[in-house]
Amino acid sequence: MRRAFLAITGLAASTTALVVLKGSPDATQVAQNLPTAQPVNPTGPGADPSVAPGAPGGDPTAGAPTPSVSAKAPVSPKPGKTTARPSGTRTTTKAPSAPRTTTKAAQPTTRRVTGSGFDNEYGYVQVQIVVSGNRIVEAVALSLPSGGESDIHSGDVRSRYDGGGGEVVQKQNANLNTVSGATETSNSYKQSLRSAIEQAF
Amino acid sequence: MPTAMTRRGLCRVEQIMGTAITLDLADDLPPARLHELADEVFAWMREVDARFSTYRADSEVCRFDRGEVLLSEASADLRFVLEACADLWGATDGFFDAYATGRLDPSGFVKGWAAQVASDRLLAAGAGNHCVNAGGDVRVRGLSPSGEPWRIGIRHPWDAMATCLILAGTDLAVATSGVYERGRHVLDPRRGAPANGLRSVTVVGTTWGPPTRTPPPPWPWGQPASAGWTASTTTPTPSSPTTPGSTTPPTSR
Repeated sequence: MRRAFLAITGLAASTTALVVLKGSPDATQVAQNLPTAQPVNPTGPGADPSVAPGAPGGDPTAGAPTPSVSAKAPVSPKPGKTTARPSGTRTTTKAPSAPRTTTKAAQPTTRRVTGSGFDNEYGYVQVQIVVSGNRIVEAVALSLPSGGESDIHSGDVRSRYDGGGGEVVQKQNANLNTVSGATETSNSYKQSLRSAIEQAF
Repeated sequence: MPTAMTRRGLCRVEQIMGTAITLDLADDLPPARLHELADEVFAWMREVDARFSTYRADSEVCRFDRGEVLLSEASADLRFVLEACADLWGATDGFFDAYATGRLDPSGFVKGWAAQVASDRLLAAGAGNHCVNAGGDVRVRGLSPSGEPWRIGIRHPWDAMATCLILAGTDLAVATSGVYERGRHVLDPRRGAPANGLRSVTVVGTTWGPPTRTPPPPWPWGQPASAGWTASTTTPTPSSPTTPGSTTPPTSR
């Protein structure tokens, strides 16, 4: 069950922080490595084309991605892998309820953006965010695994991350471009959230 | 294709190598060109995955490990990686060991190297402002879409939703390894047992992999020799935030 907990609720939502995340922005040190706005030098270190070995596209097997860790067989049979799946949203297309507009961020209109859905071994996860300007004002999991113990974990996820006061909203940090963290195993909530953020900003 | 319309450039996330790979292109190029560049980057990442995945029995690295592929028959990429791992093994006094698990597993090198190669190719293609994040191994160049240096949060070792440090820069390679995602997966090759002592390690440099051979994590944490070596080449960020002020590139070049 520990695995179950990790798979579903182990939301190391570090990548959430794409746009996102972190409590008080001023509490974190900022290390500046280089002079601001230093122009990119196309002939600088690392630009040497000879560094890149091999020709791209030389491998015909390159098309298939590795199955994520969570796609492996479950450690133990899980009670009820049933999932309340919103009909018709199981693709990478946006749900109909996500009228993403091309509105400029300068106009603080509220947008509702649905992330792609992701499967894990316990079910299907899809996250939707509500964006106002450059801020996420609400996050909601449209779908989480249900049945058996999954109900408990999914409830934990909702109470922690969802809503207008959940961690997704509270800890977002619009001043980050990306996050470096330990290699994540598959994390469906985070992936869906990231997908939503990617579309929204 | 999900594209942010509120900013220039393109951001795309794909699931490859069992993790999420994010590409953020910040150059103000035509959308078609941006998508083309992104396609090339992700095609490269899939190629790396197919060739180097230790989870795929048919990957070249697994076939090589089983003796089905001779070194003389190996691809240029595999030979390059093997050589780089051998160099790292020597440079780290044996702490970076692609054979630590008893079988060939260069994964500790491959992901960061793949990001570096992708970044190099983008630069050569005229897209010098970008961020490649391969499952936490980050390579940034140039400026972000807002025209400022890229800001990279380091995930807090104890709080998944927080960062403990933010790095800002225009030419940075940042790699983090920790036990909080996959448990104690880093082996201490000298003891043959999982490393312990540190919860998270971040290494910062201006490049990684070749040509400067900046080693990406993971390596055995908590080993004095390893830590000392690390400090001599790059600036580690252990569990508690420290300020990597000087990102001294290692030796050669």
